[in-house]
Amino acid sequence: MGTHSHHHDYNFSEQFTFTGRAKVVSLVALALGIVTVAIGLLSSDHITVERTYANLLLMGYYFTGVCAAGGCFLALQYVTQAGWSSGLIRIPQAMAYILPIASLILLVIVVAGLFSHNLYHHWYGEGLTDPNSPNYDALIAGKASYLNAPSFLVRQVGFMGAYSICAWLLAKYSYSEDLHGSLNSYKKSFKLSAIFLVIFGFTSPIWSFDTIMSLEAHWFSTMFGWYNFAAMFVSSLCVITLIVILLKRSGYMAWVNENHLHDLGKLIFGFSIFWTYVWFAQFMLIWYANIPEETVYFYKRWEPEYKPWFWINIVINFVAPVLILVNRDFVRSRKILAFVCILLLLGHWLDYYIMVMPGTVEMHRGFGWIEIGAALGFVGLFAFLVLNKLSKHALAPVKHPFLEESLHHQI
Amino acid sequence: MSSHNESILREPLVTGKDITYAKVTDDILLPVENKPNKAWWIGFIMAALGASLWVVSVGYTFWTGIGAWGLNKTVGWAWDITDFVWWVGIGHAGTLISAVLLLFRQNWRNSINRSAEAMTIFAVICAATYVVAHMGRPWLAYWIFPLPNQFGSLWVNFNSPLVWDAFAISTYFTVSLVFWYCGLLPDIASVRDRAAGLKRRIYSIMSFGWNGSVKTWQRFEIVSLILAGISTPLVLSVHTIVSMDFATSVIPGWHTTIFPPYFVAGAIFSGFAMVQTLLLVMRKVLNFENYITMFHIESMNKIILATGSIVGIAYLTELFIAWYSGSEYEMYAFSNRIAGPYWWAYWTMMTCNVISPQLFWFKRIRTSIPISWVLSIVVNIGMWFERFVIIVTSLHRDYIPSSWAMFYPTWVDVGIFVGSIGVFFTLFLLFLRFLPGIAIAEVKLLLKSASLQQKAKLIREGHLDAEQVTFFKNSLGKYDSVTEKEINELETK
Amino acid sequence: MSNIKYIIGSFADPDEMMDGIDKLQANNVSIYDCFTPMPIHGIEAKLGVKPSRLPIAAFCFGITGTCLGFSLLYYTMTYDWPMNIGGKPSLPLPAFVPVTFEVTILLCALGMVATFFFRNHLFPGRAPRVMDLRATDDRFIIAIDANDNADHGKIESLLKEAGAVEVKYNERKYVSYE
Repeated sequence: MGTHSHHHDYNFSEQFTFTGRAKVVSLVALALGIVTVAIGLLSSDHITVERTYANLLLMGYYFTGVCAAGGCFLALQYVTQAGWSSGLIRIPQAMAYILPIASLILLVIVVAGLFSHNLYHHWYGEGLTDPNSPNYDALIAGKASYLNAPSFLVRQVGFMGAYSICAWLLAKYSYSEDLHGSLNSYKKSFKLSAIFLVIFGFTSPIWSFDTIMSLEAHWFSTMFGWYNFAAMFVSSLCVITLIVILLKRSGYMAWVNENHLHDLGKLIFGFSIFWTYVWFAQFMLIWYANIPEETVYFYKRWEPEYKPWFWINIVINFVAPVLILVNRDFVRSRKILAFVCILLLLGHWLDYYIMVMPGTVEMHRGFGWIEIGAALGFVGLFAFLVLNKLSKHALAPVKHPFLEESLHHQI
Repeated sequence: MSSHNESILREPLVTGKDITYAKVTDDILLPVENKPNKAWWIGFIMAALGASLWVVSVGYTFWTGIGAWGLNKTVGWAWDITDFVWWVGIGHAGTLISAVLLLFRQNWRNSINRSAEAMTIFAVICAATYVVAHMGRPWLAYWIFPLPNQFGSLWVNFNSPLVWDAFAISTYFTVSLVFWYCGLLPDIASVRDRAAGLKRRIYSIMSFGWNGSVKTWQRFEIVSLILAGISTPLVLSVHTIVSMDFATSVIPGWHTTIFPPYFVAGAIFSGFAMVQTLLLVMRKVLNFENYITMFHIESMNKIILATGSIVGIAYLTELFIAWYSGSEYEMYAFSNRIAGPYWWAYWTMMTCNVISPQLFWFKRIRTSIPISWVLSIVVNIGMWFERFVIIVTSLHRDYIPSSWAMFYPTWVDVGIFVGSIGVFFTLFLLFLRFLPGIAIAEVKLLLKSASLQQKAKLIREGHLDAEQVTFFKNSLGKYDSVTEKEINELETK
Repeated sequence: MSNIKYIIGSFADPDEMMDGIDKLQANNVSIYDCFTPMPIHGIEAKLGVKPSRLPIAAFCFGITGTCLGFSLLYYTMTYDWPMNIGGKPSLPLPAFVPVTFEVTILLCALGMVATFFFRNHLFPGRAPRVMDLRATDDRFIIAIDANDNADHGKIESLLKEAGAVEVKYNERKYVSYE
C-alpha cells in the first residue's frame, strides 16, 4: 500500500535495439518513396508532376500533423498531470522530438510547390491580383494582403518553428530527467506544456487554413482548423497505440498492459466521434444553408471522381471505430485495436486526400504508384526516425514522478 | 485516480483532521438535518422575491402577448432567446462535471458534481420557460411535438432546428434528471436511515428502497458510467443544436461552421463560472471548506481559463474568416458589431470572456476566493452579452437600411430575466435545504486515497522522496482549510 | 439459537471488511451479502458476483431508439406527407441526424435505468430492506445466513479477528421494515 514499494521487476532502463528487419524495412520503404517522388517530379507530363506535389503535400502534412499532435498529447499529459500514460510517454516524446525534421520537410514541399506553381495556384499566379490582367480575380485580390508568398512563408516558418521548438524541448526535458532525476524537469515541462498548448491552440487553425484550406482559396470555413486538429489528433493517437502494440509484440514495455491500451482505445474512440462531429457540423451547416460560395467545396467533392470516396471516408473514420471500439473486449484485444489503428490511419489518409486533391489535381485524381510510393516513403521515414530515437533512451521515463501510478493503472 | 498508489505530488481533495466516514455524513447532512440558518433565510427570501417578479412578468406577457417585450419588426428575437441560450449554456457544466470528468477519472469531481447537476436541472428549467413564454400562445406549446394530424393537417417540420431543439432540450433535461436522481439514491438512503417519523417516511419513499448491497452498487456504478458515456455526446449535441438555431440560417454573423463547437465551449465556460459562483458561497455558508478545497477552486479556474481561451480562438476565427471570405455582408456584420451602435456590448463580451479570464494565469488570482468569485460573475455577464451580441447585432441592421432599428428592452424583458435568476436561486436553495449538496458516498471514496490525513500518514511512514514531500507541503500553502501548523506537522516519524 | 436469522459483522473500515470476507471464505462460511455506504472496488470478484449485463440492455435500448427516431422522421417527412421545404429533398438525411440521435440517447438512458430499477426492485415507496441502519452511514456490513452456517462462535471470532467493531445476531432479516 505504500506509494514507493518497488515490488515490480520491470527493467525500465531497457532500450529498443533498432536493427535487423525493422531497420531494413523502413529504409527500403524510404528508398522506394524517394525513387517514386523523383520519377514523379522529373516526369514530362505536367499532371504527373502536379499529382506528385499534391501527394508530397498530403504526406508531408500528415507526417507533421501526427508529430505535432504527438507533442500536443505529450503537453496535455503534463498540464492535466496524467499518471496513467507516463509508462508509454516515451513514444509521443520520440514523435515530438522529430517534429523539427517533419516541419522542415513540409516547408521544403510547400516552398517548392508554391514557386513551381504546382500547389496554391488558386491564389499564387500571374495577374491574379492585377486589375488590368485577364486573370484578375477580385476575391483573391481582396485577400492578397494575407495570401501572398512572403507573409505565407513567414507564417509557415513561424508556426512550425514554434511548434518544433516547444515539442523538441518537451522531449529533451524528459530525457534529461532520466539523468538528473529531480522534480525540476517535471516543473519545467508543466510550464512549457501550457505555453505550447496556447501557441498551438491559437495558431494551428491558421496553419491549416494556410497549408490546406488555401489550396481552394475562394472557399472558407471557420470550422476547418478544428476539423484538421481532430484528424491530426486521432491519427496521432493511432500511431502511438500502434507503436506500443508493436513494441509489446517484440517483447518490450512489459509495464504497459491492456489497461493502458484500453485507455488509448477509448481516446481513439472519443476523438473519432469528435472528428465526425466536427465533420458533420461543417458539412451539415453548408448543406443546409446552401450558399453557392460555400457549397462549391462539397460540389467538387460530389463529382463522380470523388463522391464514393467522400462517403467511404465517413464509414472508415466513424462507423468502423465506433462499432468496433464500443465493445470493451475488443478495445482490450491487441490484435483488434491494432487493426482499428491501421484502418483509421488509412482512413485519415483518405480524409486528407479528399481535402487536398480536388483543389490541386482536380479531375485528374488518381490512385496508383505515386500515391502508394509517396505514402510508403513517408511511413518509412517516420518509422526510421521514431524507432531510431526510441533506441537512444530508456523505454520508460525512469524518474517520472507518476511512473509508479502508471504501473498500477487499472480500469 | 483513486488508488492506494496515488503519487504524493497530488494535492489532497479532502482536508481536515480526524475525518471519518461518520464525520463526512454528519458534515454534509448538517444543513439537511438542522433548521436553516439566517443566511439561508435571507437568500431564500430574496430569491423568492425575484421568483415573484418572474411570475408577475411572465403572467403579464401571457395576458398581453409578446408585444409586452421590446421586440420590433426588425429585431424579432432579442432578450428571450438571449436568456434562453444563456441558461442552457449554464446548464451544461453540471452534466459535464458529472460525465466528462468521470470519464477522465478526475476524482475531484466527486465533491462538486451533485450541486453542479442540480444547477444544471434548475438552469434548464429556467431556459425551458423562455421557450414556452416566447411562443405567443403558450397554451399550444405541445404543438412542437409530432402529434397526429387532428391538430392541423401537417406534421411538425423536422427540417427545423427549432424542432430539433425541442427534442434536444427535453432529452437533456430528462437524462440529466435521471442521472442526478440515480446519484442521489444512496445519499437519500443515508438521510432516511438517520431520520425518524414523517421525515423518515418521506425520504424512504424518495430513496426507492436503496440498501447498498453488493449487486446494487455494482449496477449503480455501471449505470453511472454508461450515463456518463452517453451524456457526453448529449451535452455536445444540445448546445450544438442551440447553435444551429442560428447557424443553419443565412443571416450574416450567424451562418458560420464553427458555431457548434464554439457554442459548446462557451456553454462549458459559463457553466463552470456559475458553479464557481455558487460553490464559493456554498462552501462558506455550509462549512464545506474541507470538501470543496482550494484545489477544486483552482481547477475550476483553470477550466474557465482554458474554455475562455477556446472561445477567444473562435471569436478571432470568426472575425478573420468574415474578412477572408470576401463577403461584404459578413464583413459588415462584424464591423457593425465592433464599431456599430452596439459596440459596447461587443467589447463587454470581449473583455469579460476573453481578456479578464486571462488573469487566471496568475496563481495568486486563481487561488484568491474573492477575486475568483468576482471573475466568475464577470464571465457570466460576458456570456450573456455574447448571446446578445450574436442575436441582436446580426438582426438590427438587415439588408435594407430603411428597416434598420435598435432594440430597447421593456420592464417585462428585464423582469423576466431578473425573475428567472430568482427562480433559479429559489430552486437551488430549496435543494440545499432538503437534499445533500455533496455526494456523500462519492466523497467517502476519497478518504483512503486522496485525503490530507491519508497523505500525512504516508509521510509519517517515511519511504517517500524528500523532494516530492517538500513539493507536496509547498502546494498546501494555498489551502485556506489547512493551517500553517498542520503543514509543519507533516513530518516523518 | 434457532430464532437467529442473520449474523451481522459490522466493520468501520472497508479494507478490514474485505479481510473479513477473505477469512470467512477461507473457513467455508458462505456470505449472504454485504452492505456498504459506498461502492467497494473489487468486492464483486471476491464474492463471485457476475459482471452486470446492463451495458447490453443499454445498447439494445439505444438501437431501438435509433430505429424509432428514424422511423418517426421517415414516416412524417418522407412517407406520410412529403413537402418541399427550402428546396431540401423529402428524405433530408443530414437534417434527420439530430433528432435520431436525441431519441437514441433518450431511450438508451431511460431503458437502462428502468432495467436497473427493475432488477434491483427500486421504486418509490419500496420498503427499504436494510440489515443495519448504519450501513448507509459509516459501517461496512457482512451479512451471514445463520441457518446455513452452523458454527456461530467461530464466525464471530473470525469477524472480530478481521477487525469487526460489532457482531450482531438479528432475529429479523431486515431491521427497517415499515
